[in-house]
Amino acid sequence: MSAGGSANAPIERRLRDLAAGTEPVEFVGRIVAVERREVTRRSDGSRRPLLSGLVSDGTATVRFTWWDPPRDGIERGTVVRVVGAEVGSFRGRPEVTFSWKTRVGPASPVELPRLDPSEIPFRTVKELAPPDEGFRVEARVLRVGPRAVSVGQERRVVFDGLLADRTGAIALSAWSDFGLKEGEAVRIQGGYVRAFRGRPQLVLDERSSVVRIDDGDLPPAAEWLRGPPRSIAEVEDGGGGASVAVEGVVVGLLPPSGLVYRCPTCGRSITSGICRIHGQVQGQADLRARLVLDDGTGSLTVHANREETERLWGVTLEECRKRLRDLPDPSVLEEQLLEAVLGRRLRVRGAGTKDDFGITLTPDTIEPVEVDLDAAAAELLARIPEER
Amino acid sequence: MALREPAWRVTARELESSLEQEPGTGDRAASHVLSPFGARMNRVLIAGSVSVAEPIGRETPQAFWRARLTDPTGAVAVTAGSFQPRAMAQLRAATFPRSAIVVGKVHLYRDRGGVGYVSVRAEAVRTVAEADERAVLADAVRQTLDRLDLLERIEKGTELTDAEARTEGIPLAWVRAARDALRKYPNADRAAFRRELKNAVRRVAGDSGPVPSPRPPAVTVVRAPPPPPAPPPPTAAEREEESVFLDLLDEVAEVSSDGYADLKELLARVAARGVEGERAEATLNRLEEEGVVEEPIVGKLRRA
Repeated sequence: MSAGGSANAPIERRLRDLAAGTEPVEFVGRIVAVERREVTRRSDGSRRPLLSGLVSDGTATVRFTWWDPPRDGIERGTVVRVVGAEVGSFRGRPEVTFSWKTRVGPASPVELPRLDPSEIPFRTVKELAPPDEGFRVEARVLRVGPRAVSVGQERRVVFDGLLADRTGAIALSAWSDFGLKEGEAVRIQGGYVRAFRGRPQLVLDERSSVVRIDDGDLPPAAEWLRGPPRSIAEVEDGGGGASVAVEGVVVGLLPPSGLVYRCPTCGRSITSGICRIHGQVQGQADLRARLVLDDGTGSLTVHANREETERLWGVTLEECRKRLRDLPDPSVLEEQLLEAVLGRRLRVRGAGTKDDFGITLTPDTIEPVEVDLDAAAAELLARIPEER
Repeated sequence: MALREPAWRVTARELESSLEQEPGTGDRAASHVLSPFGARMNRVLIAGSVSVAEPIGRETPQAFWRARLTDPTGAVAVTAGSFQPRAMAQLRAATFPRSAIVVGKVHLYRDRGGVGYVSVRAEAVRTVAEADERAVLADAVRQTLDRLDLLERIEKGTELTDAEARTEGIPLAWVRAARDALRKYPNADRAAFRRELKNAVRRVAGDSGPVPSPRPPAVTVVRAPPPPPAPPPPTAAEREEESVFLDLLDEVAEVSSDGYADLKELLARVAARGVEGERAEATLNRLEEEGVVEEPIVGKLRRA
């Protein structure tokens, strides 16, 4: 081993600039996620401990693997200086490995690379995709509200919402209170994007910063929420979105629709009184409709909840249960629901998720659409040339 | 990944004009019918006046029902069988023609002459108010015009990349269907078809009453398969072979126990008289086509 050879001296880098290669690197970063594992050595079957997780310095977050770590492990949130880490690559993204050659020591947060705001790339909402981070984004808060969640034993409040600029909308999940208010225009820095239920979600935590800004080019919230619908083919092509509007005709109903029973613990719909997770339970009656909405270019499924189903159908859950007592056949109810919704022209806005069966829309609003036939006829007539 | 097929908005006229079937490839793949006007349809949503349904089919007369849906551009058969109980019940329920919308799958049946018959196997039928029927018709006309515009653009040789189509909000499936329609129906008269849509627009505007619907001139031309050419009249030599064939057929049938002439034996005897192989086949085919000879049991012939 050559001692102190300048060729082998680790080069200090920011994580954003890492590239897989042979030179060891030096960096300062914060451990943002960590997990202890053990692997079995093939030669003698002994167990070798390792830590793996994510380390971030504000410019990027990379996965690390730490062989033979300290016995006490390391706490999430610790800032470390790493000297002599090897840079590899996994699925095209750089990752770092700490081995016996690497020195890992505590560091102070002030040692983290200082970022000039102009160095942080500016992104539009449409460009945000997991696992982006280290960007700035300017957007309007369309909606925000607190929600209580339990993380392990701990009760926390998370602020869920929706952000939009001229290019698109994205779901927001803030783990600290930034005092966000509906209608505000904000510049956000230090967030990251993850996939949540198949959609990108912008996550903010204590390391993020939020600054109120002038409106600039951002559309008013009302304008965004009343924007014209997009074609379903376009929504399919784009894979959904946090807030998409479509307009179409109901051409079918997917099971289970109508009166369903849900597990009182987890809310999943149950069959034969058995929940997939909680076994035999006393189901709670609920009303739902899985509408197939079609605009001629494509089709998607709209999940209407009890309130929306009652409004579309004009029949309440109570009335359903009464009908079921009179005629104990749930398929008749489903038939009546289909009869009530088939052919209805609806404009739906909500969050769209794509899976193997296409797009599913969880609606924020469902509105019936009236067609102005005279205007439509005039518009169409103008597109047909006169007889020769 | 099997995405649900969209319900194409088309007029009855476009369905009538469609002659190109594309069977699906792969496991449980959907088959499509390609129209001359850029629709690659598996499922459609159509609106019009639906007639009283009649039962069809031989065995159980109740198992299959058919009605006609008429819009200002034409008419198309709408069917429903026991596999579409909901739609069948709807079709059967009506006792008088009424405004309705139909969601269903397009079927194309081609007879031996190459003439295509399009029908729609209904998944859902719903009686609607007249205004709702007109609204669906308006969608059909609008999307048909959109597709015709697209065909025109591509025909003029405009390169339309996927990225450009995306920016303009044109579904990529439409672009592909338009290219194929231009290739498969090079002679379709799209300008005439566009003018025919005027009748439908009048209906959208509420111009109701019996729509004078003189059968418009055909705007599509079949390309594949070409109609079979009329067979040339048999020559004298062929006539001679036919009479040899028939004489021998009678001979063989006379002595057989069941009254039929055995095909193998007949061909052997015909060959002995100098009519062999392909020529014998051709003679037999000609006789069968003219209805002189029939083969009620495979390998057994008799005079018709």
